[in-house]
Amino acid sequence: MKIILVDDETKFINMLARRLSLRGLEADVAYSGDQALEKAAQTRYDIAVLDMKMPGMSGFTLKRKLLDQLPDIKFIFVTGHGTLDQNGVPDQFDDIFLAKPLNIDTLIDTILQRLHPDQ
Amino acid sequence: MNRQPLIIKNQRWLDFLFHRPNIHLASFQTISNYPRIWIISILILAVTSLSPLVMATFINNRLIHKSVDAELVLQTDRVTSNAKRSMRFFLEERLNALRFIVNELPYYTLIDNEHLAKILGNLKLGFGGFTDLSIIDADGSQIAYAGPFNLEGKNYKTQSWFTQGIEQDSFISEVFTGYRDIPHIIISVRSETAYGRHFLLRATLDTQRLMDMLSSYKTNVHTDIFLLNHSGILQTPSTIFGKVFTTAPITIPAFSDTTQVITPEINKENAYVIGYSYIDTEAVTTPFILMVHKKKSDVMGTWLNLGKTFNWIIGICCLVMMVIITLVSTFMVNQLYLADQAKAETMLKMEQSQQLACIGQLSAGIAHEINNPLALINETAGYLKDLYQYTGEHRSDKEITELLDDILEAVSRCGTITSQLLGFVRQFDVQISSVDVEKMINGILSFHKKETEYKGIHVTTIIAPNVPAIETDRGKLQQILLNLINNAFQAIEANGCLDILVSHLPPKKISIEIKDTGCGIPEENLKRIHEPFFSTKKEKMGTGLGLSITYGLVKKLQGTIRVESSEGIGTIFTVTLPVKMQKEEKA
Repeated sequence: MKIILVDDETKFINMLARRLSLRGLEADVAYSGDQALEKAAQTRYDIAVLDMKMPGMSGFTLKRKLLDQLPDIKFIFVTGHGTLDQNGVPDQFDDIFLAKPLNIDTLIDTILQRLHPDQ
Repeated sequence: MNRQPLIIKNQRWLDFLFHRPNIHLASFQTISNYPRIWIISILILAVTSLSPLVMATFINNRLIHKSVDAELVLQTDRVTSNAKRSMRFFLEERLNALRFIVNELPYYTLIDNEHLAKILGNLKLGFGGFTDLSIIDADGSQIAYAGPFNLEGKNYKTQSWFTQGIEQDSFISEVFTGYRDIPHIIISVRSETAYGRHFLLRATLDTQRLMDMLSSYKTNVHTDIFLLNHSGILQTPSTIFGKVFTTAPITIPAFSDTTQVITPEINKENAYVIGYSYIDTEAVTTPFILMVHKKKSDVMGTWLNLGKTFNWIIGICCLVMMVIITLVSTFMVNQLYLADQAKAETMLKMEQSQQLACIGQLSAGIAHEINNPLALINETAGYLKDLYQYTGEHRSDKEITELLDDILEAVSRCGTITSQLLGFVRQFDVQISSVDVEKMINGILSFHKKETEYKGIHVTTIIAPNVPAIETDRGKLQQILLNLINNAFQAIEANGCLDILVSHLPPKKISIEIKDTGCGIPEENLKRIHEPFFSTKKEKMGTGLGLSITYGLVKKLQGTIRVESSEGIGTIFTVTLPVKMQKEEKA
């Protein structure tokens, strides 16, 4: 299972990656959309956790571009704008929105659910 | 529970009298005292429209009464003087005839009964009204008699008429019965024999003749004409006071030989006019007073009835006008009140929404900026905690993990606050899609599964079978239900109940009722629960934004929300939403 975390808040994303790895989930980090696309060119990621609002490329633009490269990739959006489904209630969209600050357990649950929706 | 709307509907016309004062609205209303305006309006309209009518009626009534009085006096005066003149002439004529006889004929011819009878016959032919004739000498003995009664040889010395008659040249008596028991009048003239002795020529007048003459002046049944003597005893029968010789219960008017009319001031029902005159002939005064009695109400009945009818019509008109004035005033003032009320409501809403928008923009800006550092704190503290838990170092140092938990909890609280603040901004941008309410409710309830089991809360969801899928904004509806259900769970104590009832309100609405058996909301707080930052859950980390956002969202979904609560019993939130939400035109 390959995970990529994309956010312009470097400290935040590094900390998140470390916490995930402590829980047995290895994740790559990218600090911008361009960087994420570069990394995606080399690795087949299963899931991407994207910040909605980043300087340069927004989360949604990145999503479209990533889909071009990796058609099967799943997305989880993280946003400082808060979301309607902060408790993880699935929206009608394919994507899931999570609010900052994140609950690490919610994030992991969501990742697992996105990757293995049948379980 | 809430019957107010029904009562208000029944009192639609009198809203301004029975409305419940609302301090929030009152400050936006132009006029504060509607009952006063109502009363003033009725008074002004009534006075301006009714006073001319009332005045005209009053003047008209006075005029009618005055002219009726004047007319009556005139009529009475005319009748009285005419009757008096006839009466006087009647008596004078007969007295003069007697005078002519005693002057023309010598005494010896007069005392001849046969001759006397002839004279009587001639008098009856020439004048009429004579019953008999007699010659009485100075001692009162009747010398000669002609007439139907057998009165020859009678002595009248003791009779009062005789003593009066012998003392004057001419004499007219009152009506009396005398020896013959028939009411009659005596007229007599005194003369002298060749030897210088006085004698009387006495004639008896038939009162019937007199009565016929008087009654010929009775123009109608309401007029009564009769003769009184000076002591008030009736000399001719009266339709009002009765037969001859009864005492009439009226005060004898002061002497006047000309016609007088008096109008006694008594109650209107029996008002009458009296005309009178003392009757005197040239030769002698008579004991008669001619009285004419006219009843006002009867004589002038037509006029007075006309006046009465007029008054009735005016009265009914006034009443109808008063009713119309009252209705019109009530309607106008109520319309004014309703318009004012609507204006005040709109202004209040505008003020509220402006407040909300301001707060929303400000807080959303802050929340967004705070979220990023907050996320960093969260992850850092989380990582620190992870370090302790996963690497095994300092695992025994419970204090540090507890402190880290405190930080994480505080961050989570901040996160709730900021995300709710952001909810304000999210009132724009509506996306309509088909939503299955039942599924959504079950989804939300599934997050509370653990809490339900832990607290032993009995959850019932009743979805009416005819509830259609609705077209609305999924996200917003989700947040509305989430907020309300979260609130309910927070309020419910262990072993409480949560009932969710979804029903279809044909044709175009559905209602979602969320009913808890929680602590309830005190009445003074009920009005404020939709205000931002109003919270009673200080210890339970409430932000005071949940319901405020919910109210805004429901409005955004073109629905309404109502709350009923009894302290200690529970709270019911009822959200009514359109089945098909209309797309908003962008302003």
